[in-house]
Amino acid sequence: MKLEFILNDKAVSLEVDPMKRLLDILREDFGLTGTKESCGEGECGACTVLLDGKPVTSCLVNAVHAENKQVVTSEGIAQKPLGKLLIACFDETNAVQCGFCFPGFLVSSYYYLKNDGEPNLEKIKTALSGNICRCTGYQKIFDSVMMACHRKQEQEK
Amino acid sequence: MKFYKPKNLTELFQISEKIAGKKYFLAGGTDINVQIKKKMITDEPIIYINHLEELQGIRETDESIIIGSLCSYQELLNSPLIAKYLPFFRASLVNFASPLLQTMATIGGNIANGSPTADVTPLLLVLDAQIILMAKSKMRHIPLRDFFTGYKQFNLKKNEIIGGVQITKNAETGYKTFYKKVGSRKALTIAKVALAGLKNSEEYKLAVGSLNEYPRRLSKIEEYLASTNTPESVKLEELLKQEITPISDMRSDKDYRFQVCLNLLLEFIQI
Amino acid sequence: MKKVRKFDAVPKLNGSYKFLDDYTRPNLLYGGFLYAKFHHGKLKQIKFPKKFSKDEFTIVSYKDILGENIVPEPENDQPFLVEQEVMHYGQIILGIAHPNKKKLKQFIDNIEVEYEEMPAITDIEECLSDENNVFGRVLEIKHPAEIGNTSHLIHTKRIYRTPHQEQAYLETQAMLAEYDKEKKEIFVLGTMQCPFFVKSALDAIFGDTIHNSVVETSEGIGGGFGGKEDFPNIIAGITALLAYKSGRPVKTVLDREDDIQITTKRHPSRVEVESYTDPITHKIRKLNIDYRLDAGAFQTLSPVVLSRGVLHASSGYAVEDCYIKGRLFRSNTPSNGAFRGFGAPQALFAIESHIDNVAAQLGIDPYTLRKKNILKIGKEFPTSQPIIENHLEDCLEKVIEISDYHEKYREYKQWNLEHKVKKGIGLSLGLHGGGYTGNGEKILNSKIKLVIEKNADINIYVANTDMGQGAHTTLAQMVDEAIEHPHNKTRVVIPNTNKAPNSGPTVASRTIYIVGNMLRNLIKEVKKELGFDNLETYVKAHQADFPREFRSLFKPDPQAIFDDETYKGVAYKDYSWAACVVEITYDPTTYEINLEKCWNVLDIGETVNPEIARGQVEGGVVQALGWGLSEFFYKKGFGRKQGFTDYTMLTSRDIPELNIEFIHTDNPIPKGLGEIPMDYPAPALRNAFLNATGVGIDEIPLTPEKIFANLEEK
Repeated sequence: MKLEFILNDKAVSLEVDPMKRLLDILREDFGLTGTKESCGEGECGACTVLLDGKPVTSCLVNAVHAENKQVVTSEGIAQKPLGKLLIACFDETNAVQCGFCFPGFLVSSYYYLKNDGEPNLEKIKTALSGNICRCTGYQKIFDSVMMACHRKQEQEK
Repeated sequence: MKFYKPKNLTELFQISEKIAGKKYFLAGGTDINVQIKKKMITDEPIIYINHLEELQGIRETDESIIIGSLCSYQELLNSPLIAKYLPFFRASLVNFASPLLQTMATIGGNIANGSPTADVTPLLLVLDAQIILMAKSKMRHIPLRDFFTGYKQFNLKKNEIIGGVQITKNAETGYKTFYKKVGSRKALTIAKVALAGLKNSEEYKLAVGSLNEYPRRLSKIEEYLASTNTPESVKLEELLKQEITPISDMRSDKDYRFQVCLNLLLEFIQI
Repeated sequence: MKKVRKFDAVPKLNGSYKFLDDYTRPNLLYGGFLYAKFHHGKLKQIKFPKKFSKDEFTIVSYKDILGENIVPEPENDQPFLVEQEVMHYGQIILGIAHPNKKKLKQFIDNIEVEYEEMPAITDIEECLSDENNVFGRVLEIKHPAEIGNTSHLIHTKRIYRTPHQEQAYLETQAMLAEYDKEKKEIFVLGTMQCPFFVKSALDAIFGDTIHNSVVETSEGIGGGFGGKEDFPNIIAGITALLAYKSGRPVKTVLDREDDIQITTKRHPSRVEVESYTDPITHKIRKLNIDYRLDAGAFQTLSPVVLSRGVLHASSGYAVEDCYIKGRLFRSNTPSNGAFRGFGAPQALFAIESHIDNVAAQLGIDPYTLRKKNILKIGKEFPTSQPIIENHLEDCLEKVIEISDYHEKYREYKQWNLEHKVKKGIGLSLGLHGGGYTGNGEKILNSKIKLVIEKNADINIYVANTDMGQGAHTTLAQMVDEAIEHPHNKTRVVIPNTNKAPNSGPTVASRTIYIVGNMLRNLIKEVKKELGFDNLETYVKAHQADFPREFRSLFKPDPQAIFDDETYKGVAYKDYSWAACVVEITYDPTTYEINLEKCWNVLDIGETVNPEIARGQVEGGVVQALGWGLSEFFYKKGFGRKQGFTDYTMLTSRDIPELNIEFIHTDNPIPKGLGEIPMDYPAPALRNAFLNATGVGIDEIPLTPEKIFANLEEK
């Protein structure tokens, strides 16, 4: 099929098997290797991207699902003001370890920060519960997102 | 793998009719893509339906809420209609799968997959939901409890699809509610035991998941509880043995499943 | 002790940092493996699918191996590729490569392997309870003492069991290999912990056919935890063989499912502990420990895991009469290997659980029993290594204080009488010897190199990898701080066996402790030798001398002597110490444990970068609690679970509130850090359950099913 969609705010199109995984399209056809494959069955969140503004595991999304939709990857989020804020917080807390899961965490955190943003630990835990991290024990990830929520609130004052 | 993308429902039925053998409908893709990865689906034709407007959305009639089969969990959670008329249902959905899977996973897909562990089904069963089945020129409503006939077996006619579910607006009203899903962890988990219950002074409604070949109501226990003010646990245990057939698999053990179901039942009675 | 940020955090977040699968090459082939789908048997025939043209594929079997078909390991007993007899499910039979990933997979999936089945041992209990399965060297530590009549002592004998654990690094194992025909050189790029191990594997598999082999790590290494210590040798060897045969670059990236099926795991254990305790003084007078590990089908590095296991088996307790025996058992499952803790978590689970069982039998609280028997100055390990500091006791006292242990211990007792949902509080001690065991570091003889560039930047050349633990940030920080050089100029160059000297593998909590200390000493010597105050000024003034290279060698402590025959002497020069309190609630309706709080006090010596150190502890503790609560494979009667759906690591919603304190950070050197947080939390969790319910379960994970079955028995 001819697939047209908006990728990181840019209109793109390509000829592709409609069942090709969005994950593979991003990595192979657009070289956006920030989106990672880890479990391949939706149970780790390393491949999280935003599809029409909502977080999805791109290993379970097919080309046909993305037709005429907005797709934002970690690379795209890194360019947005709230994305930059989050990256600064993850950096300051020395939260990142191996980093393989972090682009996925960045996307889930961004969705939470943008759509809710309350500095509430239980809510943050729930928002990140589709993303597995094996290195950090999550604590510093919570700290970073909490920090970003507070900063966003201050900025909005 | 042949792929079809019908323009509308009419075309969907045309395509579907032409395919004699096994075929899969692709909605949110959260199950089908796992099955493809595990080589449970290899060459069977795929019909994409996630874009079909006729099967989307949540709307109300005077008496009911109608949920399109393509409605995602995220839509259910964000729907003001669901929040207003079915708050218990909504609250029970919050921890399904994960926030990432909730975006894509659909209510129709959860039912159609036919898994004994399907999260939404026990809830729909106690809410006396009707399932809407659509064919080329016909539509029928049947109680969801009559829809399942065996492991991944349905009361579904040839070329019929799941159009959605219908729940009456007052399905929860005036009832004490109970829902517990027991998994291996708090998120990203598949139910080992699930029990949903409603009760008022006159009746009990109980449904279980992961304990039979398909999620089902516990009618004998419902009747027994309605008939007595002092339920005996020995009797409950005896009836439960008749109603559930838990198995041991890699996720859990049959004895554990049975006991937890009984414990939850006793907890439900006490609320 | 300034706050230094990780140099790689931002590129990892925005996706620009490259992990192995993010690299490509022109003319690339994808590599894959055909592995056995049965436990034990003789290969009879391999039938390739007719619907594919076999010629399109590059295929290597053991016959294509130009050197030796033996993976270099402490015990050289494992082949790269099966010759006749398959010893375990997942053993690799063929390496296969093709330009199309999808086609490669379909081809491999459709290959039929005919075999003659042989009897197999796949059940852990079956393996570990039958002494006929023992293989390899039996280790013994003897610390005999004449304690006289034991009839008045309290006798406690229990068996403790732990399961496999999957490292579950988020980046699966992966290698990219290229062959340069003209130079006769193999180049391997990969995600790994030990580049020189991989190099020795390449040299083994190719023998004299090649002139050189070069191994480099990918920019990012997506977690290791021990899982990328030795298994990369096999993947690299076979992938390189495919590159050699095809003449094209080959990239092999394991699917999660394959990674789980074929790679190494933590050894399951069965540890019998027998003790005799004085009911009046509460001293443990005599201790016998029978420590058993399921090694899998081959020994590989299991003898070293066994060694660390027996050396940690008596934990932080001084016992007059002590005997420890350690043995490896063979099963028809993939060889178990390195995993953070390396035999110590199994050992500590047994002894730390046992202490609580003894306390319960004596009717005293677990703190008192620990306090009475704790290792301190004047006492010694079973190896007769003397104790030189009371830091373990300091950890214990501190954790008791910050967790308000005594008060909660009382309070929960009362609470549990009155409530259905129970509360429990559990205690454990931990210790971990830093670096290789015994004379290991002496034998390793690590080498390091620094280059001071013309612009006064310092480049560090070591073979130690940064797989997320922050080692490269911390190593650079140590060098900078030693000479007050501005942060952000010093870098560890990506490990490459052609550029870096062999500073040893990235294992055994040795990177900062051994290699970091070497770097720090070297740069201090350089400063002294050159006589500078400010490096930048000095380099500017002496431009002609730069770039300049400096090297050094590991200098063993002549006092630290270990006898490998008798297991007597200094097993580890420096121990890290820890004490832990875990609080849980327990719901008897569903038999589920909820993790509430976890308090950790550690002495790891100097904390070079406290935030990085804290992150290591948090991560290790959560891995350990997952091992104790919900992670397992091989439920009897079912195949090894596949994928992350059913290998249930803790999610963000499952973890407890974590509290971490470091003490004795004024120690002049940073000691081992990476492994100790994995060692001690599981028994504290188990002891918290005992405290909550009065039921001591001597086996993990404490799944609701296991709890239910145990309660049913009682």
